[in-house]
Amino acid sequence: MAVSRRSFLKGSSLAAASSLVAPALLGNPFVRRAFADTIGDRYFLSIFLDGGNDGFNTVIPATNGGGGLRTAYDLARSTGADGLNVGPGQLSSTMIGTDPGSGAQLALHPGLLGMKQLYDLGKVAVIQGCGYSRPSLSHETSRVAWETGTPPGFSSGTGWVGRYLAANYGGSDIPGVCIRSEVAGELRQNATSVLAARRLRSLRFPYDQDFEDDIARKRAAFLGLYGGAAAGALPLAEYVGTSGTATLLATESYAGLHDLYVQGRATFDQAYEDLDRGLGRGLREAAKVIYGISEGVPNVHARVMQAATGGYDTHSDQGGPQTDGRHFALLSELGDSLKLFYDDCADMGLADKVVILVWSEFGRRAVQNDGGTDHGTQYPVFVIGGSVTGGVYGNHPNIDELALSDDGNTVYSQAAADPFRSTDMRDVYGTILKHWLQMPHQTVLQNVLALDAGDPAERWTQENFDMGFLA
Amino acid sequence: MGNASSLLSEAETRHLMRRAGFGATTKELTKLAKRGYTREKLVDLLLKYKPKPLKTSNQDGINEVYDRWLDVMLKTKTPLLEKLTIFWHDHFATNISTVEDTEQMARQNALLRTMSKGNFRQFLKRINKDPAMMDFLDTVRNRRKTPNENYARELMELFTLGVVDEAGVPNYAQEDIVQIARSLTGWRLDDNGNAVFREDAHDFNVDFPERGPKVIFQNRPGFGPNGIDLITAGEGAPEIDFVIDVLLVHVDSQGKSTVGRRITRRLFEYFASAAPSTALVDELLAMSGFATTWDIAALVKTILNHDAFYAGAATPPYEPGTKKSVKWPIDYVVSTLRLMNVHPKRRKYEGLALEDSDSLRAHLDAMGQRLFDPPSVFGWDWEAAWISSATLLARFRFACDLAGNHTKGKQGFHPEKMMPLSLQAPNDILNAAGNVLGITDQLSSSDREFLLAYLTDDGTRPALNLGDPNLRARKLHGLFALLLQSPAYQLH
Repeated sequence: MAVSRRSFLKGSSLAAASSLVAPALLGNPFVRRAFADTIGDRYFLSIFLDGGNDGFNTVIPATNGGGGLRTAYDLARSTGADGLNVGPGQLSSTMIGTDPGSGAQLALHPGLLGMKQLYDLGKVAVIQGCGYSRPSLSHETSRVAWETGTPPGFSSGTGWVGRYLAANYGGSDIPGVCIRSEVAGELRQNATSVLAARRLRSLRFPYDQDFEDDIARKRAAFLGLYGGAAAGALPLAEYVGTSGTATLLATESYAGLHDLYVQGRATFDQAYEDLDRGLGRGLREAAKVIYGISEGVPNVHARVMQAATGGYDTHSDQGGPQTDGRHFALLSELGDSLKLFYDDCADMGLADKVVILVWSEFGRRAVQNDGGTDHGTQYPVFVIGGSVTGGVYGNHPNIDELALSDDGNTVYSQAAADPFRSTDMRDVYGTILKHWLQMPHQTVLQNVLALDAGDPAERWTQENFDMGFLA
Repeated sequence: MGNASSLLSEAETRHLMRRAGFGATTKELTKLAKRGYTREKLVDLLLKYKPKPLKTSNQDGINEVYDRWLDVMLKTKTPLLEKLTIFWHDHFATNISTVEDTEQMARQNALLRTMSKGNFRQFLKRINKDPAMMDFLDTVRNRRKTPNENYARELMELFTLGVVDEAGVPNYAQEDIVQIARSLTGWRLDDNGNAVFREDAHDFNVDFPERGPKVIFQNRPGFGPNGIDLITAGEGAPEIDFVIDVLLVHVDSQGKSTVGRRITRRLFEYFASAAPSTALVDELLAMSGFATTWDIAALVKTILNHDAFYAGAATPPYEPGTKKSVKWPIDYVVSTLRLMNVHPKRRKYEGLALEDSDSLRAHLDAMGQRLFDPPSVFGWDWEAAWISSATLLARFRFACDLAGNHTKGKQGFHPEKMMPLSLQAPNDILNAAGNVLGITDQLSSSDREFLLAYLTDDGTRPALNLGDPNLRARKLHGLFALLLQSPAYQLH
């Protein structure tokens, strides 16, 4: 078992100073080695599709297989003016594997051509039917369930990745970066700092440049004020304190990453520019961090990153296979951005060091409304990376009319013999934690993901952290 | 312990003015102290406003309307109107990014202002038919054949009941959402953008209203095994109002008014601090009579007169359990400009320059709040969610720009006009600067130590001559930047 950064600090005289640790200390090679020992130079990137992605039009049955999957799909998704139906002929360029449960031939939405190229390289695990028991149809409640890795009503408020970080890193570390203005829910906790920045180039601490010789004194006062708050009695001030300290230190250590990347990787920098998609620009920031670390930039230690992209709440005007449709645009942004980011990492020689999870707060209703879809339950997630064993995992949910719940949604099942047995999101998380982030199996169960109580056929009472998509 | 007739201390006055307004300047505070206000008197005064809509023209884009609102907030003498309008904007969150219609957003803003302290039942009924809301949550796309659940769900989850009650028990079922969605079919916007019910009898048309019974809340406490039918008060157009009447009589698993408890909790959390106990919520609800009168003003008044509200005025060193709240970006920006007496001209904010923009809006964007454009129907995330390295940097940048702004006239910051330049002792200077921002009493002894070390260059400068413009620009403006950036100033 690797030495955890946290226990290392606790077991040394540095512990007391850790909340006010200066950049110079993080530059200490001994401290840095302890840090790197946790997972080495591996990265984990979480991508959140905000609004609830329509899983049934993301991974689409092209044939019936041994059951009636395609027939049920055709009944749920109509053709014509407001129809969302994607016909078999429109799926010919994006065929993937077969559904493990029914044997039906599966295909990606035609907008996911970039994803299909990665799939053909064997680098994409398509994990169908992911969800949790007694699912909520509220954006907020369901997103929190996915972020925290707990069913509604059981959340402690910390994120599943956050609990992993809290167990391995200390208060002045910055092991996580969110490429957005706020700390993402899955990274939330209060033991260690997470950087949130939409663009690294704007990370510059503001000092009055008219008085340059006063800057060092301002910096000292600032760190004093924020260190005091971090050590204070108000929990909210404590949070503000650690965040402010980390912010100042990050502006000093992350500031150079932008220029370094632009100079060192001009071709890819331009390729993101040409792609001209929001998610692509976000992923470029992640590439800057990875490149900077590979180039040995001091005091940059991020291992976990998060990006989000919105617009998936397609109650209306969703569009089917049409290239000018809304869902098409969303999915092509996703596939093309991921493909470029993967190529960028591969070109750096680091593709096998990066694992990406693509998730949403829920899928959407099997049966469409007039031109869109209402909130649903299980849906497919993607796990992508050079070290991923590609293929189709997990069963397609049962979208036969008679199998749907009273509210028209697919039903979560953990019954072992069920050909439509769902995949609990926590098995996906656990496999990533165990096989990628190197957290011991029992530690995952103790510190990060707690089994449900109740009926084993409808609750997550038996974990499977060896799903196979990561060796 | 106190009550509505307790005399306000200085700290309590500052607290009330911070939370129910945008802070009080030293001048305003002196005036208030002279008159010797009780809680009730000052709260009544704050609540005594006539809601006025923003002055907008048909040619305005959303940024002009936004600038107009900022302008009003920077100058207003009735700040509680603005504070409540912001609350309702968050509660009934609707965004221009989806609606894409400035006029509708401005109309909604006028509704939020008009109803800000009015009757909550009437407020909900008008929100049901608010054009921006009808577009935002798809009421205009809710069809008989394919009911769209978007508005029905948020009406219960966010605007009224909440998903679960104070005991964690669900307040409604998916079936209730479906039935309410059915009862809201048939509503469209006419050519003038007003809500209109398509009464036409052409039932074959999917656009037209759904006929027949729509039963909700079966087997819920208070409704019995048969629930209640939304066509009870008449089928068709009356259903949209009747839904609200039904939601307002909903009781939770503990037999308490579900909506009453939830709105009381939200307003307390907005004005005071997060996570009040259920007992406190119930006490405020009972004292205000809100669950029978639905009078928002009475509820706000009850909260602002209560001891639990004034607990937030505590000064360091803090007792365990003391609660503060993170200032919203809009609060941070507007109150700072007011307290520092900086009056940027509308649309022109020279000296407050971001890299690629020169507006207060851009500063607020970077801090995570764009009015008229909350991120989703959930509104903004409060408290710690306002704080991240990205949003803190935006606050620090605003502080640095503002404190370092030496522009002549009202657009610049001139501390020499707000405190006596004769002060020489670092301790006195720190107190005077802290008073301008209203946070002297919120600084801990350790905060003071670090700020004084800055001011005196680690004790090498025992006295400061503020008459020296160079020293003033370096150290006094620098001190203000640090105060605005301090953890204490991010809270209130």
